[in-house]
Amino acid sequence: MTRHKPKIVWLQAITCNGNTHSLLSSNSSRFELFLNSFDLFYHPSLTTDTSLDDAINLENIDFLLIEGAITSSSDYFTISDNNILDLLIKLANKASYIISVGSCASFGGIHAKFDEDKSIKGVPDYLNNLELNNLKQKIINLTGCPVHPEWILQTLFTLKNNKIILLDDKQRPKEIYYGLAHHGCTRNEYFEWKVEAKSFGVKEGCLFYEQGCRGPMTHSNCNRVLWNDVNTKTRAGMPCIGCTEFDFPRENMLETKKNIGIPTQVPLGINKRAYLTITGVAKTFKIDRLNNKLINKEEYENS
Amino acid sequence: MKTVDIIERIEGEAKLVCSWENSRISDARIEFLNFRGFEYILKDKPALDTLIYTPRICGICGQAHLKATVEALENIYTNINEPLEVTNKAKLLREIGLNIEIIDSHIKWFYMFIMPDIAKLSSDIKYEKYKAIKGSQWLNASKITSEIIKSLAIIGGQWPHTSYMVPGGVMSDPTLLDLTSMQNYLDQAVIFFENSLTGVDIIDYLSFDNIDSLEKLDYALKDFKNISFENELEKIGKSYDSHIVLASSSLFESAKIKTKNKHKIDINKVKEENINSFKVNSTKKDNEYTWSKTALYNNEFYETGPLSRALVSNRSFIKSIHKEYKDSVFTRVFARMDEFAHLLIKTKDLISKIDISQESYIKPKYSYSEIEHASSISTVEAARGSLYHKIIMEKGIIKSYDVITPTVWNLGPGINAKLGVAQKAIIGVDSLEKAQIILRSFDVCSVCTTH
Repeated sequence: MTRHKPKIVWLQAITCNGNTHSLLSSNSSRFELFLNSFDLFYHPSLTTDTSLDDAINLENIDFLLIEGAITSSSDYFTISDNNILDLLIKLANKASYIISVGSCASFGGIHAKFDEDKSIKGVPDYLNNLELNNLKQKIINLTGCPVHPEWILQTLFTLKNNKIILLDDKQRPKEIYYGLAHHGCTRNEYFEWKVEAKSFGVKEGCLFYEQGCRGPMTHSNCNRVLWNDVNTKTRAGMPCIGCTEFDFPRENMLETKKNIGIPTQVPLGINKRAYLTITGVAKTFKIDRLNNKLINKEEYENS
Repeated sequence: MKTVDIIERIEGEAKLVCSWENSRISDARIEFLNFRGFEYILKDKPALDTLIYTPRICGICGQAHLKATVEALENIYTNINEPLEVTNKAKLLREIGLNIEIIDSHIKWFYMFIMPDIAKLSSDIKYEKYKAIKGSQWLNASKITSEIIKSLAIIGGQWPHTSYMVPGGVMSDPTLLDLTSMQNYLDQAVIFFENSLTGVDIIDYLSFDNIDSLEKLDYALKDFKNISFENELEKIGKSYDSHIVLASSSLFESAKIKTKNKHKIDINKVKEENINSFKVNSTKKDNEYTWSKTALYNNEFYETGPLSRALVSNRSFIKSIHKEYKDSVFTRVFARMDEFAHLLIKTKDLISKIDISQESYIKPKYSYSEIEHASSISTVEAARGSLYHKIIMEKGIIKSYDVITPTVWNLGPGINAKLGVAQKAIIGVDSLEKAQIILRSFDVCSVCTTH
């Protein structure tokens, strides 16, 4: 079967390359199908037969993927001697779809915290107001630090077949980001009954009350489409740090900000009074199963 | 004559500027022109937030930065005479996580970042399997690396960019079944080592102690060896042949070697210079050409990385190859793949040593905000060599954060008429192709170099 393989150009701007390594860590049969279904024409870390100039000289680019934040200044960062913004605009004019891969490309992310260059921003911050004639849909943000590889693959395959994808108010595919990181977390029952994790390093308890977990306020499907096919941070015991949101990285990410013992931020869209009422009720019950260790030390020692 | 080339596929890019005399490179400059300012970003951040920031210095060696940060933060307690208690289980889970990341990095580097270039030196079509993206070997390597890294996700939740290590221990609490799955993923790496990389049983391989054993190799390492010898890669890429290993681990010994003598490390002799490096907020001077700084030990240049670790730790197979071919491209590349085997078996052993009944985490008695003023240093052996972090903190807020990455040791600019390690290795070769392969042999990570 001969197939049309849409051309992908991947640009690395101000980045740690974490999104590239996330993609390389995707499910290997999915990754192989991806390579068979698309023409990865240029990727600075992976391709050897093409150069950036070859990408610039293309007439059309089906998918322009950008990893990393953008700056209009050439003081601290250039790509093969090109000003990043100039290069981005050159390529964007040829693109049918533009996808910001990761939170740095979407919002500026961690690199926008480098105060010495005030012009470090996300791709849409620079391109949203430009008239890009070839563009079939407005810029798509795949947020996350890094992005989940499956989000890249699902978005590309969907656009290849369906031409259009539903976006939320942050230009993210709604069908990926409609839910919260909280959904599907194995600690959910502890959240329902307000049983906090006693410390780091335990299987029991919810990380929302002390360890700063942003699961109930962060749009992502991390706990439905697992990372590396096997796990998520919150399942393992690391709080969600809200890396898919525009305000990442925040301050004091590993502790919960509280006021008189109550988290100052309650789950998204829940009225504070409703939250406090439910919490008050849940806390009047002491449920042994949820307060005990899942596996006791003695069980290990006696086995 | 002067040539200027942009080198890609080195986790970012670098510019190689060569001067030529009589068809040989008479001077070489490695320019890293991109700077992200992590040390500036970290300033004034709350102590524990650094655990989120520093892994993001690098998408391929983030766990090395995480471990360096967590150990620097813990050393703060030691330096105020309140050392933390960290269980052996937590220490093992950290070292295991780092090792898995290094194993993954070594395979990716060999198959994606250097072997496609080495294969191009030969016109034999049998080496087309090493072609990037299309070649069967490239695909096979991408498959196995995505399997291996699952074992890190079991304890870290995800990779890249987990921050599962924290002062006092680790955040996860794996079951025995989790540890078994980790072993299973690493067993797949063992099969890959035997059936794709070497054709030798891994335990037999680890007993090799003589250069003649090179003849026993099959598959990718045999191909690498044959192309190397056809193109004399065992004769090029030699530098000072002085080696430094700042940190120790279950596998690595910390020391430095110069003219065969091994000495203990005095961490206070590590210095970072920026004479020929750009400076933030200042006009570029004529002599400044790179954002990379210069790392020195006792004012001397040292190479760091898997070759240095093998020599310092006295691993006999690499020592016998080094005796013959010195610090050439061949030895340097080979040492990296040799380390893959050692790390793999060591890591499997470390997993088997975990006592799951121990605590994963013991909460520190004091918080950083209660500590008026403190500073600390940590060192970690990362995929590319020794990594150094230094923190100065006041009341839980970072006042200064200094990072010296392995690639700064190897790829930083020379100063005061002395050449940098990679510079010295490149000067004298007769082709740009070879110069680029020498550069690659250091496993360049551009994003780490300038961070």
